Amino acid sequence: MQTIAGPTGPLARAAKVKTRMGGSTGETGSALWLMVPALAIYAVFTLFPVAVTFWLSFTNSAGFNTPAEFTGLDNYARAVHDPIVWQALGHTFLWLLYHLVLAGGLGLALALAIGSLGKTRTFFRTAFFLPHLVSLAVVGVIWANIYDPFFGLINTGLIGLGLGNWTQGWLSDPSLVLFSVNVASSWQGFGIYMLLFIAGLQNIDSSLYDAASVDGATPFQKLVHVTLPGLREVMTFVVSLALINGLKGFATVFVMTNGGPFYRSELITTYIYRLAFQSQDHGLAAVLCIVLSLLAITITVVFTRWRARLAQ
Amino acid sequence: MTARNREWPVALALAPVMLVLLAPFAWLIMSSLKTEAEIAQAAPFSWPANLMWRNYADAWQIGGFGDLVGNSLLNLAGVVALTLITCVPAGYALAKIRFPGREWLFYAFILGLTIPIQAIVIPLYEVLSGLRLVNTLTGIVLAQVSNGIPFGIFLMRSFFISVPDELVEAAKIDGATHFQILTKVFLPISSPAIQALVIISALSTWNDFFLPLIVLISPDVQTLPLGLVRFAGTYSSEYRLVFSGTVISFLPIILLYILTQRRFTEGLTQGAIKG
Repeated sequence: MQTIAGPTGPLARAAKVKTRMGGSTGETGSALWLMVPALAIYAVFTLFPVAVTFWLSFTNSAGFNTPAEFTGLDNYARAVHDPIVWQALGHTFLWLLYHLVLAGGLGLALALAIGSLGKTRTFFRTAFFLPHLVSLAVVGVIWANIYDPFFGLINTGLIGLGLGNWTQGWLSDPSLVLFSVNVASSWQGFGIYMLLFIAGLQNIDSSLYDAASVDGATPFQKLVHVTLPGLREVMTFVVSLALINGLKGFATVFVMTNGGPFYRSELITTYIYRLAFQSQDHGLAAVLCIVLSLLAITITVVFTRWRARLAQ
Repeated sequence: MTARNREWPVALALAPVMLVLLAPFAWLIMSSLKTEAEIAQAAPFSWPANLMWRNYADAWQIGGFGDLVGNSLLNLAGVVALTLITCVPAGYALAKIRFPGREWLFYAFILGLTIPIQAIVIPLYEVLSGLRLVNTLTGIVLAQVSNGIPFGIFLMRSFFISVPDELVEAAKIDGATHFQILTKVFLPISSPAIQALVIISALSTWNDFFLPLIVLISPDVQTLPLGLVRFAGTYSSEYRLVFSGTVISFLPIILLYILTQRRFTEGLTQGAIKG
């Protein structure tokens, strides 16, 4: 666990790699042999596709394995003028925010409660983690049924409680749909954030609590002055993880609404899939791929720097 | 950390929260044992008159869940094995050997750690179809392993870095090669890191949806999440089948977790932090 205290992200470590390079040829040879299996697969199935995606964004490619011509920035101009691109981008930001608040917030709240437990700690930690084990695609099937207007758990439950006028078309109402689907994703996601916060709590020096008690601090003061500052680094880690997980969000939307109704739950990822595999507009899809990658890289760099600064 | 006299108030406050958050599981399992008519009554927590275990037999047979589970297991075994074969030696080389270009490799792997899989899907599909790997187990395994390689390498690397260099130097003086040092000196002490890597790659493979959706087109090669989505789409009006099929899809992994929860939890937490 000690690594959590340091700048842990690979980017932060990259700065340190620059130390003494080189080495004898024998060393280089054996390093190469040990790297070859990973490098061969990674080069073919990841690095090469990254490069080709970049190239495709400057072409008029309109289908798999078909010849394409260089068209400069045409696709970028088309992307700027495509209203669905802007919608998908807006939805993606909203999606990240929902996920951060719902899954991150729930994870933190539960961790704070579970962290104060003794005998029943393992029981609650295990129970609350269960949703995270379910595949997001299966979560999509589960929640599509939970939201079913006639037989679903939520609407039938509300009627059962005498709250019949609270029932909604959770997935058919354009203003609700993105939030509804995000609840499903966040239900699956909060467990891992909770585990990370619990691990962070265990790293806080218990003598700080003793000192606070001696000073007559209330439980609330301990939370604000000891616990939350002690969780700062885990917090930045969880926030960046939640943002990256949010960016990758795809399966629940694909399964529950396929981006609808009227593109009102379309994310960048689902729009990429639609452009790539349905309308086969690979030039425009590639532009969105670049945008998605840049967002992910920005989040990673910003948070790695922030964490490195906290660690100093 | 805090006084134990807070145990029971907190536990009592958490219990209703737990009931709400786990209600979907309870509701699905109960509904999966009802008849279509009972489901149509829309009484979410009414007890079924007769437990319809038949729903499970029907869903299993109609949905071809035997094949789906088999495919998922093969997929998982392939990914875990190949992940270990690729990431353990590469992590060692990046941690313990100085060689020119190491820095560049490092950045190349960070790139893959950061970029979402959806962002490279078009050329990835072209590569797979060029190699005639679409619709094959080999294809899905290679794509998933490649996607997980950066994480696996950084996880193993950060573990190997924490092993003192003196162990390497001493073994070298005895005339050991790096391969021998890795297998004879490092592997025997690496089980925490390897366990974390196995758990994380197994769970993410078992639950993966995006890559199977792209690569595995015909039903006979599909894995469990993809197969369930197809099944739920085809039989969307037969709720008893959808419910029991869904339970079949999540129950095994949940039981496995409950049985091994300590290792599972440790592996996931350590892995997430170090990777």
